[in-house]
Amino acid sequence: MKFPGNAPGGASPSSMGGGEPEPATAVLGGDEPTVPSPVAAPPPVAPGAVIGQVLPMYFVGDESHSMSGDPIAAVNQGLIDLRDEVAKHPLIGKKVRFGIITFADTAETRLQLSELSEDLVLPTLAPRGRGTSYASALEALRQTIPADVALLKGSGFQVHRPSVFFLSDGQPTEKAEKWRGRLQELRDPGFRERPNVLAFGVGDADPEVIRELATSPRYGFMMTTGASTAGAIAEFATSMLNSMVASAERLDRGEQTIEFEKPEGFVQLDAPLV
Amino acid sequence: MSPGESAAASPGEAPPRVARRRVRLARGPVTIGEPAPAIEPRLAGGEPYRPDTIADGGSALGLTVRAASVRGLHKRFVGGPRQDDLCLRVHAASRTLIAAVADGVSGAARSDLGAALAVRYATAAVARQLDAGSIDWPNVFEQAAWALVSEERRTDSLQTGSLATTLLVAAVSAGDDGAVAVQAAAVGDSPAFRLHGKQYDALVGQPVHMDDLIGGGVQALPRDAGTAEVGDCALAPGDALLLCTDGLALPLAGGTGELGRAFARELATPPDVVDFARLLDFSRSTYDDDRTLVAVWVPR
Repeated sequence: MKFPGNAPGGASPSSMGGGEPEPATAVLGGDEPTVPSPVAAPPPVAPGAVIGQVLPMYFVGDESHSMSGDPIAAVNQGLIDLRDEVAKHPLIGKKVRFGIITFADTAETRLQLSELSEDLVLPTLAPRGRGTSYASALEALRQTIPADVALLKGSGFQVHRPSVFFLSDGQPTEKAEKWRGRLQELRDPGFRERPNVLAFGVGDADPEVIRELATSPRYGFMMTTGASTAGAIAEFATSMLNSMVASAERLDRGEQTIEFEKPEGFVQLDAPLV
Repeated sequence: MSPGESAAASPGEAPPRVARRRVRLARGPVTIGEPAPAIEPRLAGGEPYRPDTIADGGSALGLTVRAASVRGLHKRFVGGPRQDDLCLRVHAASRTLIAAVADGVSGAARSDLGAALAVRYATAAVARQLDAGSIDWPNVFEQAAWALVSEERRTDSLQTGSLATTLLVAAVSAGDDGAVAVQAAAVGDSPAFRLHGKQYDALVGQPVHMDDLIGGGVQALPRDAGTAEVGDCALAPGDALLLCTDGLALPLAGGTGELGRAFARELATPPDVVDFARLLDFSRSTYDDDRTLVAVWVPR
């Protein structure tokens, strides 16, 4: 996991001087003049010190066999584009941390929460296992999120409410009580780090289930009947990127809602389905 | 160099080398911690005219005031208008300085105008009330909210809440006996502090806790006009009253970190007007919202 330290350098700072030439670097902050440390490791952060604000975002993707071929290729390409676009944005990259969890019969963390830099190595998703366990994915989120938030806070970051982008092309192959139970745990108002969940159904996903997964019906989206699954996934990935940029831009407002616009080729599930 | 020196040099003779003090402009932002990227701002070309930065200040009633509002790095990057605003007003008869800051809600279409209207109407309302005797805070926020609603109606806006903004107003009364009393009221997350040495005492507005996640909804005018939080305090010589928006309050995080120490040090005495704005426009990675700060000092 990569967290920047608070070492100074890089910009062209100056002090409030008079007519004399300025020293090359005059950094305001800290009680002592800041001298670049010969040690490469970031300086430890004092308890309670704040060095930045971040928005954790997770992609939770279906890696079951039904995603074989073009759909899973569309997911992989979408993740590469997302990394490249965010990395080249001058302001967003530092404010977002991105993690990838996949699920089939089990859930796996494929990317620890990371800064989206150009040299970040992304996992290549590939179909695996037997089954589609939503419960395992939801449980993985419930375990991962508090640990990630604690680590970020310990590194001196102010942390915004995490967002989850959940994508599936099928229906859960386990009993409904099982995944619903895990969903309740993730939603529990007593769970301080409970995330905003946006859910996207493609292929054979069940619109009712997708709507239930989303924290609000307006965060539930289903691919239009008859559309290409791979094409819909590409649109989803573009919307996830746009949401990341828009949400990071509006971080400072402290609004709990996440910025998101319906991707092309999807219907929003905030109206009763007929 | 004395005026006679160069005139004394005869033609063909090299002028004497004199140590000159060259005028040099100190460039670049004040950096606190890891710097934010350097970008060339885009002009915000919309209506009404919203300058990137405002810097104001002066002395009145024996108090010293500095006020600045700077556009955030993100809006400079995309060319959006500054959505924060401030207003200062002196009510001489009651020896009261009135100050307001507002932070337009970024999701609202014309919140920059909302912030501009709210600070002006609120300070005018306080002045009128002081003419009549005393401040009625709920009425101040009602009048500011009414200004926003009237503007929405005037422009026939179908989008209610398009002018949504937070609002923080303070009245600083300098008594003839030297005592300085502050009354403040706020709707939303723009806080007021008393800076006493290195200590930031919260007066109104929610402090930022590291234990919690950030977020939880913002109260704003006109909708939440009835929710004003009211506080008061006395200012001792050397103390400063700080009114700010969350663009400063969030990284300040209660004032215990390096930003809080730097501001406490620099604001121990009033900086020049432009230096004050420059301090507020500090560079710090990931903090790129608009920032507004009004500081009122009681001279030692």
